[in-house]
Amino acid sequence: MAAYMIFVARRFGQLLLVVFLGISATFFISHMTPVDPVAESITAITNFGKSDPEAIDLMRKTLTELYGLQGNLFEQYVTFWSRLIRGDFGPSLSAFPTPVSQIIFRALPWTVGLMISATLISFLLGNTLGALAGYYRKSRILKILSLGLIGLQPIPYYVLAFILLILFGFVWPVLPITGGYEMNADLTLSFTLVLDIVRHSILPAMALVLVGAGSWLTGMRALTSNIVTEDYVTFAELGGVGSTRILRSYVVRNAIVPQLTGLAMSLGAIFNGTVITEIVFGYPGIGTLLINAVHAGDYSLVLGLASLSIIGVAIAVFLIDILSPLLDPRIKAE
Amino acid sequence: MQTEALLHAPEAATQPTLVVDRLKAYYTTKAFGIDRDIRAVDDISLTVAKGEIYGVAGESSSGKTSLIKTIVGAIRPPLHVVDGTVRFNFSGQSYDIYDMKPDKLQAIRWRHLSYIMQGSMNVLNPVRRIKHSFYDFAFAHMGLDRATFWDKVRDHLRRLDLDPGVLDSYPHQLSGGMRQRTTIALATVCTPEFIVADEPTTALDVIVQRDVLAMLRDIQRDLGSSFLFVTHDMSVHATVSDRVGIVYAGRLVEEADTPTLFRGARHPYTQHLVASLPKIGDTTRRASLPGRPPSLADPPSGCRFHPRCPLAMDICSREVPTMTNLTPRHRVACFAVTGATP
Repeated sequence: MAAYMIFVARRFGQLLLVVFLGISATFFISHMTPVDPVAESITAITNFGKSDPEAIDLMRKTLTELYGLQGNLFEQYVTFWSRLIRGDFGPSLSAFPTPVSQIIFRALPWTVGLMISATLISFLLGNTLGALAGYYRKSRILKILSLGLIGLQPIPYYVLAFILLILFGFVWPVLPITGGYEMNADLTLSFTLVLDIVRHSILPAMALVLVGAGSWLTGMRALTSNIVTEDYVTFAELGGVGSTRILRSYVVRNAIVPQLTGLAMSLGAIFNGTVITEIVFGYPGIGTLLINAVHAGDYSLVLGLASLSIIGVAIAVFLIDILSPLLDPRIKAE
Repeated sequence: MQTEALLHAPEAATQPTLVVDRLKAYYTTKAFGIDRDIRAVDDISLTVAKGEIYGVAGESSSGKTSLIKTIVGAIRPPLHVVDGTVRFNFSGQSYDIYDMKPDKLQAIRWRHLSYIMQGSMNVLNPVRRIKHSFYDFAFAHMGLDRATFWDKVRDHLRRLDLDPGVLDSYPHQLSGGMRQRTTIALATVCTPEFIVADEPTTALDVIVQRDVLAMLRDIQRDLGSSFLFVTHDMSVHATVSDRVGIVYAGRLVEEADTPTLFRGARHPYTQHLVASLPKIGDTTRRASLPGRPPSLADPPSGCRFHPRCPLAMDICSREVPTMTNLTPRHRVACFAVTGATP
């Protein structure tokens, strides 16, 4: 157990290092752009009328300080980290003066809620069907279902999304086609609001699940059909162990380890947002936010979103690392 | 002819535990619409008496493993039974492996019929502790409450000189010999009446081999079980088996009590096998049999051994010799021994 704790501590150290290096790289790349955000903002503000030079000078000083741009690049870098540790990415340039963190945390629950449920549903659906299809290779129903899901997989996501929009928004208009909730909804927590949010998430989630489940299924089916020929499965069958027990504790238990690694990676990638999903369905998450930020040249917001995604992926990798020895005892914690 | 196998049964008054009658099992593969049969088990009849250790010997790819897989009903497509029956007698009850419901078959597994697989290094689930395997395999068959069950498992392990601590280990934490002995402990914990062991000592060095063989012997003596013991190693048969059947290219060619087989083998193939065994003090070079074992997909006509046989006659390439009794406990399939009339 002590060895395991040392292992966890070392992996955590690596996590911090990766996050530090990743965010630093993002910082330097964004600060090497020739665009001067202070000048951009001043131009934006003074576009509407003349201001006297003194006021502009004062504005320049204030903005430079606000954006953390005073001093040379190294001083800026130190300022950036001292702010970041307090969770402060500075103000958004396009939605001045709202802080970046506030904008991100407003959008985050939408993306995370949608993506976590869609990822988990497609993981469960794909792996369950994949394991059954690999184990009961003769079943016709499973063959048809797998063929259907695998057939959906190569369809470009946006095409499938539009097909769903047309089917359930126009041909048989039962589901809302855009937004995360009704325009005039009362945003205090209530049963109606939850129901409304769920109804709005069905189409984007369905599109994600239909496209995603196929790859889980293919992977799991291949893993399963390899494992059923392993000696320990044959031995269990000869030992008169029941087939549900064999499927659960012998086949799936062995096949699930690499699949869980894949799951953690997909969950980490949630913070990248799904730009296409959110644009197609007008969903108010961080994917939409990112696109808008890039268009508006709002680099403090882009930096904030990039940092978030670096942290998300790094934590996911960390979780895989510390869970693997628990799932497969042959993987040594060292 | 249906009762041919029974006629060869040992004189013991009790019914044999296993009767295999004219068993044929082929691997059938379809490629481009052409069926190809690989005749891995071709017309084999044998019986194993209660408490007997029956050895099956033969070179690699002679169909030994296919034979015992067919006997225990562990076959998967493309291997399938073409003809013949496999019948076990457990506590006065008769079970036809290929004429019973799958759940009934599952119920006699481990309780009456257990199997020590070839390559026992990989037969334990690598991601679960060994105690789970014992629970999955044996608990339902023993009909005991948990505490008594675990006491019994620990007693059994101790009797086989294994530390009950192995229950809390993962398979990869044990050495090869330990794993093999654990597997044997798992196969014997329910005191089955029939145990099939496929090359149980092949991957082990001679010291561990000796321990494992001694352990199998002890178990057999304690439980009074019948064994079907498969190995290509004739010296292991000499120490373990009561009776040995020699398989060549999917067919049984000779069968006799171990001493008879080693001193007075009649089939030319068996004679070569026995002669190839090293003897202490004898430094002459062992003659190697010319040629290679035949392909089971396209076996030679007549007697399958005739292309390599020093005694081959005309009839050998035309007719298949049948197993004929020389004495009540010694059968051989060879025209050169039994005369040219089939």
